[in-house]
Parts: sequence; C-alpha cells; structure tokens
Amino acid sequence: MAIFNLKKREIECKIVYYGPGRCGKTTNLEYIFKTYKKQITGEMVSVDTEGDRTLFFDFLPMGLGKIKGCDVRVQLYTVPGQVQYTSTRKLVLKGVDGVVFVSDSLEVRREKNMISLKDLQQNLKEYGSSIFKIPLVMQHNKRDLIKQGFPIMSIEQMEKDLNRQLKVPSFPASALNGEGVGETLKECLKLTLKSFKKEMNL
Amino acid sequence: MNILKKVKSLLQEAELYHKQGLLDEAKGKYNKAKELIQDDELLKDKQSLMDGIAKKMDLLEIDIEKVEQAEKRPEVAADVQDLIKRLYTFAADQDEDTIALDGAIALAKFGQYDSALAEFNELIKKESLRVVAAKNILRCHMAMSSVDEAFTQYEQWLSEDMFVPDQIDKLRMFFEGILEKEGIDRTLPAAKIQEEDDAHLLDIFEMDEQQTQETAAEGVDIDGFEFEEDEVESDEILDINSIRLTVESGPREGQTLELIVNFQSGNVISLLIPNRDKDLVDCFSVGDMIKNIECYSPIAIFNSSGLVSDVMQIKTGPRRGDYNLDIKVVDN
Repeated sequence: MAIFNLKKREIECKIVYYGPGRCGKTTNLEYIFKTYKKQITGEMVSVDTEGDRTLFFDFLPMGLGKIKGCDVRVQLYTVPGQVQYTSTRKLVLKGVDGVVFVSDSLEVRREKNMISLKDLQQNLKEYGSSIFKIPLVMQHNKRDLIKQGFPIMSIEQMEKDLNRQLKVPSFPASALNGEGVGETLKECLKLTLKSFKKEMNL
Repeated sequence: MNILKKVKSLLQEAELYHKQGLLDEAKGKYNKAKELIQDDELLKDKQSLMDGIAKKMDLLEIDIEKVEQAEKRPEVAADVQDLIKRLYTFAADQDEDTIALDGAIALAKFGQYDSALAEFNELIKKESLRVVAAKNILRCHMAMSSVDEAFTQYEQWLSEDMFVPDQIDKLRMFFEGILEKEGIDRTLPAAKIQEEDDAHLLDIFEMDEQQTQETAAEGVDIDGFEFEEDEVESDEILDINSIRLTVESGPREGQTLELIVNFQSGNVISLLIPNRDKDLVDCFSVGDMIKNIECYSPIAIFNSSGLVSDVMQIKTGPRRGDYNLDIKVVDN
C-alpha cells in the first residue's frame, strides 16, 4: 500500500503493469523512461531472460513533484507475463496501489489476455484486495498492427472480453511508438492518488 | 483467396509472431501454411515452398529451445540482488537484524537460494534470529530439491550445541511439517522431545508461496469470463507467525492460547496441533467464526477475525495422528 511519510512529507506509491507475456509491458516502461526524463529519478532496471522475456520484474522510479506540499514518488513495475512465473507475479504485486492491465490486440492472444486478467484477479484476491476496488486502467496495445494488415481484435471485442464488468478507463495504444502510453499512466496515477486521498481522508 | 495469397498471409503472420516472441503462435501459422500447401495437389513449386518453410521453422525451433532451456530461476547479479532486497523488504521500520532477515527472505522468494543461504547462515549466529534463520535454511534446501542437504544440516544442528532442546524441537516440528507437505516419507533423527504446554509459539517468517507451475487456462471461458463480485473485503494480509486467541467453546473454553502458524497461503493460515492436544481441536468446528484473534507478523501485531475452514486429522507421514487446523483470516 502507498506509504505516507509524514515527517518527510512524502507519498510513495506502487503501480504495476500486468498482462500476458509479450504484450508490451516492458515496452511501456521503456517508452516512459525515454520520454519523461524530467520525472525519472533513477535508472530503469530490467531483469530479463532469453528472448528479452521479463524474468522477475522491471523497475522504474519516478517523481511527480509536489502535491499539496508532499513529494509524490512513484515506482513503476512490470510483472513477468509468462505463465510459469505465477509466484513471481504475486510477489511483485505485493503492496500494489494501482494497476495498468496491458492487453494484446492480436487475435491469437485473445485467450491469453483473459487468462492473465483472471490471474490478476486471483492474485489480488489472495492479498485481500479486489480487482473491482483497486485503481485499474486498461491499455489495449499493438493497435498499430492493423495498418500492416495483421488480424487484430476490435476495441469493442476487447472491451467485451475484458472490461464488460470492470468498466475501468481504457486506452488504445501502440507502446512501441508511444501512442497511448502517457495517457494510460496519467489516468492510472490519477485514480491511484484519488484512492490514496480517500483512504487517508486528505 | 488464392492459395498462394493465403500461404503468403500466413507466413507474414508467422514472421510477425516470431519477431514478437510469440513462438507457439508462429509455429501454428507455419504449420497451417504447410497443411495448405500439402493439401493442394495442383500447386506448382510445392517442394521449394515447403523447403522455405522448413528453414524458417528450423530457426523458430532454435528460439523455442533457447527459451525452454533458459534457467527459470538463475542467480542474478549482485546489484540486482541488492535491489530485490531493497524493494521487497517490508520491515523498514524494524531493527537492523529484522531488516537483514527480511532481505534474505526476499532473496529466497526470488529463487536466489545460494545468496539467501549465505545470509541465513550469518543470521543464524544471532541468538534472537537463530530458529527463524534455521527454518529458512531448511526451506531453501528443500526449494533447491536438496532434501539430503536439509537432512545433513538438521543432523549437524542436532550434534552441535547451537540450539537448546526446545529450539531443536521447534525445528523438528517445522521440518516434519515441510516433509509432510512435500509428501516425503522420511523419518527425522530422534531428538529429545520436551513436554509442551499450550503455548506453541513459533517465530518463523513464512515463505508464503511454493514455486508452482501453473495451468492458468483452467476455468477460462473464451467468450469472456465472470468475476465473483462477493470477494472478501480486507486489507493486504501480512505473513503471520503466530496467533493468540481465547477459546470460545468446548473443553478449553475461556483459555487464552498462543498458537504457531505452520503454513500460510494468502489469508488462510494452517496450524499443526499435536494429537495430545485433541481437546483443543475439539474446540473448533468448520464454519466457526473466531472473534478477536491477535496476529503476530514480523512487522506488526494486528487484530483480526477468523473463519475455521478445515479441521483434519493427518493420516500419513511423520505427523500422522496430529491435527491440521485451517483458519481463514477474514478481517484485519
């Protein structure tokens, strides 16, 4: 959960990018690291394995400046998307304040998106949290592939598959060229800080 | 669509998926293209097309093999291990030793067993952390599939003066619990068993997860799935070492007890109760709600309620005859 250090007047919160393997979670962080240099407060760390697959997590620290006199620090994480890293995903999710669920627009990844969202729900539940309560934003990634004629799902289809019940804010994106990356992060930060404010009665 | 166009389209898709690291999907498209070519008897240049696909599939197979052969939990560089300790140590407000212990546990949780073992072996020298470090050493050996190492270590501890008999007894109970859970039927060397009173306080930092392979596909409906909206509403559940409760009914009604937590999975804690304490087991039935449980975690003490979710006599293994009591922590 978010840490509010009264003495230092610091708020620290944790945002986790979740989603199936190869959906573009790391690409989101790489784009943020490249683009929002002013807000980045340290190096991006990626712990990956064969084929650039995330092994443990990616980590990127950011500073958002002052809000109501408090320094707001944000830590961005990604989870490993491959199915076999379920226990690592759960570890990375510990203490999460906000989640960006990155889905893959490719038709062939439809089922994997749903499995991953179900996995997120289960892991949150095991921490006593709920997918319905946590600040959550959805990003439908790889929209650019439609221009190259590859079979991708319509936004309507993806919303029906993944967001029918959750009804959370969602953004089409192409993380590779940065489209939708900033919007997704901003919305997630907005929801997370709003939730924190409510929790702390600020 | 003309067959060649279809094949071309499939090959383009396969290339894209290969490039994106979606290796199974790429393989599927190559195979589909091969099938189309094979089924069309009128197609010219069939063999050269098949040869071209075979070459691409060979390259794909190399990448698939690389991914499959890659170590699942490799030891990472020291600076990454330091980062893991920094990011996954949740005892920041505690004393130096507790923070060090929490860091070593974080390493173990990320499969950095060699480094974790090195740290636990240092921590075991500190009196206050001796038992908990020892338990985590056993855990690490078991996680590394070094059952023999775990036994050797345990035997060594028995022969040394490092632990008092009561601590050895706690270690034995803990080790037996792991063996039972792992389905390993091996008898531990005899240790002096002391008469125990009602207090089975155990100061272990549970590693709350097994490194399980997942078959996540279960229960997912391709047309979209339903969430259960009646999820338990509670805050994040910390690792719980032990609990304190007042028995509300049964033979020990009114007694306040401290009980060890042998295992924890999410918000479900498991307590192993010796057969000689059957009258204590008789105080709990599945479905009972226990009010006012004090939960002791490495970083905090908190009050909670608990739902008795299972009471079961252990039928096999070294703890045969003892009881397992599962309590779901529902509100903290």
